[in-house]
Amino acid sequence: MIDNAQPEILPSSFRDPGGFLFRQNGKLHRQINKSCIDDYNSLMDSGLYKKLQEQNLIIPHGEADITPPVPDISHCVIEPEELSFISYPYEWCFSQLKDAALATLKIHQIAIEHEMSLKDASAYNIQFHNGRPILIDTLSFEKLKDNSPWVAYRQFCQHFLAPLALMSFVDIRLGQMLRIYIDGIPLDLASRLLPRKTSFNLSLQMHIHAHARSQSKYADKQVDKSQIKKKVSRNAMLGLIDNLKSTIEKMQWKLKDTEWGDYYTATNYTDDSQAHKGELVEKYIRDTTPKAIWDIGANTGLFSQIGTRMGIPTYAFDIDPVAVEKNYIDSRNRDDRNMLPLLLDLTNPSPAIGWNNRERDSLVERGEVDTVLALALIHHLAISNNLPFALISEFLTEICQNLVIEFVPKSDSQVKILLTTREDIFPDYTHEGFEREFAKKFEISACENVRGSQRTLYLMKRI
Amino acid sequence: MYKLNVVFFTAIITLIALTQTRDAFAYLDPGTGSYIFQLIIAGALGAIFSLKIFWSKIKVFFGNLFGRKDKS
Repeated sequence: MIDNAQPEILPSSFRDPGGFLFRQNGKLHRQINKSCIDDYNSLMDSGLYKKLQEQNLIIPHGEADITPPVPDISHCVIEPEELSFISYPYEWCFSQLKDAALATLKIHQIAIEHEMSLKDASAYNIQFHNGRPILIDTLSFEKLKDNSPWVAYRQFCQHFLAPLALMSFVDIRLGQMLRIYIDGIPLDLASRLLPRKTSFNLSLQMHIHAHARSQSKYADKQVDKSQIKKKVSRNAMLGLIDNLKSTIEKMQWKLKDTEWGDYYTATNYTDDSQAHKGELVEKYIRDTTPKAIWDIGANTGLFSQIGTRMGIPTYAFDIDPVAVEKNYIDSRNRDDRNMLPLLLDLTNPSPAIGWNNRERDSLVERGEVDTVLALALIHHLAISNNLPFALISEFLTEICQNLVIEFVPKSDSQVKILLTTREDIFPDYTHEGFEREFAKKFEISACENVRGSQRTLYLMKRI
Repeated sequence: MYKLNVVFFTAIITLIALTQTRDAFAYLDPGTGSYIFQLIIAGALGAIFSLKIFWSKIKVFFGNLFGRKDKS
């Protein structure tokens, strides 16, 4: 047995008594406990794991020859394929959450066909791998109990249905409530926020409004055990899944053109400038030979695609839900497996949340990345958000080794727009001021003007 | 088919809507309400599902009868 380092149990892996994740020798492992031998063996022997793997719905794993961290209760240790980046539901656009919801229902349906059931429906158990949603929790299955209700029904409604309904019927930004409520949006709150017309939508009336009323009715009531001994037939279970599936499938969010969503048509770049900027970005990316790229102001991903075309996993962050949605839909249509569009307000990035602030990592904790693209971004941080160059460069040193950054001067029409209605309190916002401050943390390896524009592209390497 | 759906759903919703409502800040496990609620709706959803399957079979049958391929 190979065992030459102390195992480090992941702080987020404490809920399931069936096992836990740990890191050892730089690799991710999962201890499977004796208490869930039957469930784990059924997953592997019933054909369920094989079927899910064929459909790319479960993370592949192999058995690991390693001493378990808690041997007394251990059945075995597995080594799941590790993802290079973990994203969270509050960083997904509408269609990503919708696709994750449909994948969860599909997995549950396939599990039932194999006499098993998905025992939790946490959105955090789904990740985007090669562009598509995949279950990362190998221990999420249990043997189907005789005609028992689906134990994860409440969780599914809170993690998927309620946020999707709020995003669809009220405001797309309500998806951010998932950042506050780690176990999904409380149904009574969703019910109160949804417009009255949703009461006449039969499925939403049932799964959210009436469901919430039932929750409050039984919230602090002693329940007669005979009431919960009633059974749910196989057909009824399939009916529930089918109804949830069609409810989710019908949910739409109509895209509006926002400031960002149509950025490329509103920009001051000529076609030639844009092409030249693309060439420079590609050259600088090649120079840094990154394993992964974060494009931290990606818009709809035009320049992120330079990375994905080179076969590099590229995480395309943007603040605008329209831009992220467009990028996701386009990437999905192109089958661009290296692209992961994500929603992020860079001036208030995802914090660490959950128990002891250690269940879900902050954005910075999920770094660092080899190369960051910060294109047409600096003026929004420095002028719209009053951030001094020193703070911007300090943040960037925390998340990347190499930086491809575009400087947009005050003479640029986009910056002029930002300064139209406010006093110019930025005397240091100049090429010289920018270079002086960034040179304290980075070595400037290359710098070229973007043809036909007043902008400059820099390649910098962290000192 | 649509009318049958409406009848089933309306029956369930009327039943639930008649129950009293209040805030769900619960001291005990709030999963109980979801569990019991699922028991209540499951039967009707199962029946609708059966009808849906039955209806799709009828469509396939008549589709085949008239030599037309059914898309579903």
